[in-house]
Amino acid sequence: MSDIIRVENLRKVYQLGKVQVAALRGVNLRVEQGEFVSLVGPSGCGKSTLLHVIGGLTPPTAGRVTVDGTDLGGLNDAQRTELRKQKIGFVFQRYNLLPTLSVYRNIALACHIAGNRNGASRSAMESIVKMLGLEARLDHRPAELSGGEQQRVAIARAVVNHPKILLADEPTGSLDTENSELVMNMLLELNHQFGQTILLITHNPEVALFSDRIISMRDGHILETAADAAGS
Amino acid sequence: MRTVLSATAVAIEVLLIIMVVGLTHGMLQESARRTQGVGAEIMVQPQTTSLFMGFSGAPMPAQIAGKLAEVEDVKAVTPVMVQASSEGGITLIYGIDPASFDAVSGGFHFLQGRGLESPDDVLVDDVYASSRNLKLGQTVELLNQNFHLSGIVEHGKGARIFLRLDRLQDLMGSVGKASVFFVKLRDPRRVNQVLDRMRQILPGYQLRDMQEYVSLMVAGNVPGLSNFITVIISLAVAIGLLVIFVTMYSTMVERTREIGILKSIGASKVYVFRLVLRETALLTVFGIAAGIGLSYAVRAVVGMLFPSLPIEITAEWMVRASLIALISSVCGASYPAIRASQRDPIEALAYE
Repeated sequence: MSDIIRVENLRKVYQLGKVQVAALRGVNLRVEQGEFVSLVGPSGCGKSTLLHVIGGLTPPTAGRVTVDGTDLGGLNDAQRTELRKQKIGFVFQRYNLLPTLSVYRNIALACHIAGNRNGASRSAMESIVKMLGLEARLDHRPAELSGGEQQRVAIARAVVNHPKILLADEPTGSLDTENSELVMNMLLELNHQFGQTILLITHNPEVALFSDRIISMRDGHILETAADAAGS
Repeated sequence: MRTVLSATAVAIEVLLIIMVVGLTHGMLQESARRTQGVGAEIMVQPQTTSLFMGFSGAPMPAQIAGKLAEVEDVKAVTPVMVQASSEGGITLIYGIDPASFDAVSGGFHFLQGRGLESPDDVLVDDVYASSRNLKLGQTVELLNQNFHLSGIVEHGKGARIFLRLDRLQDLMGSVGKASVFFVKLRDPRRVNQVLDRMRQILPGYQLRDMQEYVSLMVAGNVPGLSNFITVIISLAVAIGLLVIFVTMYSTMVERTREIGILKSIGASKVYVFRLVLRETALLTVFGIAAGIGLSYAVRAVVGMLFPSLPIEITAEWMVRASLIALISSVCGASYPAIRASQRDPIEALAYE
């Protein structure tokens, strides 16, 4: 299979006041299309920064990042935004739903931003909502939902436009075991049913076991790759 | 709460504009309508006189009326002395010759009392009488003199207060003088021909068709009034702009995280910018609707408390005030919108 994500010697340095902090120090990574990869490591090791660079939320300082054939290094902010809109979905630990909007409108917002306002997006939305078991919660506000439900809404919003890549930053970090398993099963189903490429960050080794491959990071470097984690 | 305050600021902005323009426009138009209500087709004034009677004294010999009456097609002429009175606000007093004034105007419609029989008699119209609670027969102080209220007439014929011409001339030290002549024609369609003939007899005088006079009674022809209106509108715009700026700026700071969320799901700078402006526009539309509603409410209250203070709310100025409010709101929200659109998504997502 072809690489949908290719990271070569990626460096990312943040300027915090007068201090430069190197978050990524030469990262190399390849993710194939349809692969489910977990990224594990201690806090501050650069996992989220790597996800943000791949997702186009921040530009790389040096090195090369290619997402679905597009070199992010050559893109400006508007072009990276466009790439994110078309090809990448994000799921965060804190759900990041808009509190004033209903579940339906939170999901529809992603369609609106992507410019999909037709019947096709409605049918896509219906199937995603059904798959994630959110039919009865569409009119509720996020504050009226459990953590697990909120995260499922966040997943629905992330995948409703059928992005090629789903980047999940600690999606189970705020959930109990039961809800964590529920959410991970849904991600797995997305991966199996739709061939969704997923790159997931987690602290939890049990969560990482749901993926095809586990990659460890420390101090801005990739340490090791455990192939076929789910099958092991 | 912040949204309500912003909409209120927009409403006040719209209210201020509509009220200031409505008041000036209303007073001018109402004055023009009353002058037209005299019933004359032509007005004759001295060359240097102001369009706004009452500020120019009485420099014309009253005998000119005789000359004007001799012009072909003229039915009646009446000399009027116009004097501004400052008792309880500026009000015009007409000094009239009752007989010729009746000939031009068709006579007053008396609601109470009788005409100006004695030099100390005064007539007022019903609006003036009700606004000052005047009763027939009571003493009315005008120009530092006491007058006897002999009659209350229906409003709409020139001034709100009428004295005998000779009495007013005497009081103002302008015996035998007049401020304006009102000319009634046998055939109103011949106004241009009559004006041409009069110009030959009275070169150097201002001779106006009444329709022309009415059309000239606009704020732009009142010295300083346009500037005054511009200053008030500018102040209203500044208030609206500043309130919207502060509101939207603080809203955008408070909603930093939401901006980060939008950007993380692919919202572009333009999308965020337009979103902020759309919200501002929506808020402004509510403010405009409230402002227009308030304007009608204020007009109703002013009409009850001060019947002689007309406020004319026109569709044109409602549209203008709405556009001014909308533009000032958009200008006020532009900087917060630009700041929001330029937010770094990662920093915004980390914002607590």
